[in-house]
Amino acid sequence: MQDMSQMSATDQFIFYMQENGLYVFNQFLDHFLISIYGVLLAALVGIPIGIFISKYGKASNVVITLANIIQTIPALALMAILMLVLGLGKTTVIVTVFFYSLLPIIKNTYVGITTINKGVTDAGRGMGMTKTQVLYMIELPLSLSVMITGIRIALVIAIGITAIGAFIGAGGLGDIIIRGTNATDRTAIIMAGALPTALMAILSDILLGAIERQLDPVKRQQKKVISPM
Amino acid sequence: MRSILLASAIILSLLVSGCSFSNNKEDSTIKIASVVTTESQILAYIMKYMIEHYTDEEAEIINNLGTGTVVHQAMVNGDANMSAVRYTGTDVTGPLQAQPIKDADKAIAFVQKEFKEDFNQTFFDSYGFENTYAFMVTRETAEKYNLTSVSDLASVAGELEAGVDTSWMNREGDGYKAFVEEYGFDFSRTYPMQIGLVYDAVDSGELDVVLGYTTDGRIASYDLVVLEDDLNFFPPYDASPFADNELLEEKPEVKDAVERLIGTISTETMQELNFLADNNLIEPAVVAEQFLKEHKYFSGGGE
Repeated sequence: MQDMSQMSATDQFIFYMQENGLYVFNQFLDHFLISIYGVLLAALVGIPIGIFISKYGKASNVVITLANIIQTIPALALMAILMLVLGLGKTTVIVTVFFYSLLPIIKNTYVGITTINKGVTDAGRGMGMTKTQVLYMIELPLSLSVMITGIRIALVIAIGITAIGAFIGAGGLGDIIIRGTNATDRTAIIMAGALPTALMAILSDILLGAIERQLDPVKRQQKKVISPM
Repeated sequence: MRSILLASAIILSLLVSGCSFSNNKEDSTIKIASVVTTESQILAYIMKYMIEHYTDEEAEIINNLGTGTVVHQAMVNGDANMSAVRYTGTDVTGPLQAQPIKDADKAIAFVQKEFKEDFNQTFFDSYGFENTYAFMVTRETAEKYNLTSVSDLASVAGELEAGVDTSWMNREGDGYKAFVEEYGFDFSRTYPMQIGLVYDAVDSGELDVVLGYTTDGRIASYDLVVLEDDLNFFPPYDASPFADNELLEEKPEVKDAVERLIGTISTETMQELNFLADNNLIEPAVVAEQFLKEHKYFSGGGE
């Protein structure tokens, strides 16, 4: 057996990855899925709420304040409270992620729809569109990129929260980080947990950023103008 | 047109994810609770892979729980239906709140009976190892003074310095005071220290005798000699698998898979496995998998 204590942290890290690559990959996948499930569920609930409050202005204050309050609770505390009801494991973490994702998604949907140039929706109505048609053919396509921004923010937050979820037995990359903190002098293990977590956050940010630019009506317009030339 | 396509793609992915989420929530999954120690994590993965190898069930591990008490609570609340490892000594004084039992056979009979009656849970027979406190010395010291048991220390203890776990110093029942009374000797000096440091301290010669855990991987790597507790001073901490009876009745094949593990892991084997994970940077999950493959999942040789 090699003497691990003689190796530098970087060598240890490389050795660790060679030995446990598959395990790290599985944890990475678990981590990603927990975050994604939470965010998608929040989108499923948050986007309709956002649309609703953009139509009924009075409700917007109440809903956004409520979502704001949820956001101020520390992640570990919210998780502990939910744990009392839902028990240990993945479900609790997914629900925690869900609550944290609500604010950015609701708010961005709301802002996306309310900031659309009034002239455009009026034009639609003038053409004889029904309310539903205005929503589906004008408002939603125009605010889609802003909504994606909300999902992008939510996902990056979610990846961080899922790492804490290891404390209540949900697995994911947080497991590796906790093991690293318990082992003495094991920088490599902490890095093996922390680097993929950071990488996941950065990659999903870049990916959703690209989608967002693709959907931005203003930038899309410019492209169309440029491409024939 | 593109936005409609995109919107439908989003809705479709939401539906798909919603379905798999609800599948996750089904109660029939086997959930194995594990504490934060390396040993427990290795055993949790061994249990998981055994169950997945012999049955069609999927097992999920609830990891990083703080103490045995938390694991017990998780099982009572139904968050988990198996425990990776339970120690007789811990469970007698912990969840069952009884007086420590010094006899190993009586202790395991006691916990098996009590958990069955009070909690409808099964405390299996031991994996084959115990993780208890033991005094240990280097090979040189053992040869020099001809030491094999703790009683042998009596004549030379006056010259030796000892290092022990901080919490053991003040513990009632099986702590330092009781030890001095029971064995009738004391070391020239006894240093309380963090348990993780004692192995290095004795290996480097800073101390002559230390009190450590019997399954720590460093015992094997530093070639330490574990002295036999000939007066049975320390209560037994035999390690066993543990499960809810409801689960075992519903899925007897899970019981069969777990029972294959009984008596298969000796204290030396556990030391080696702990060493691989603690010292050689190999994840408990990988250690467990390699171990089971090496032993062909304890299939009884033939298959």
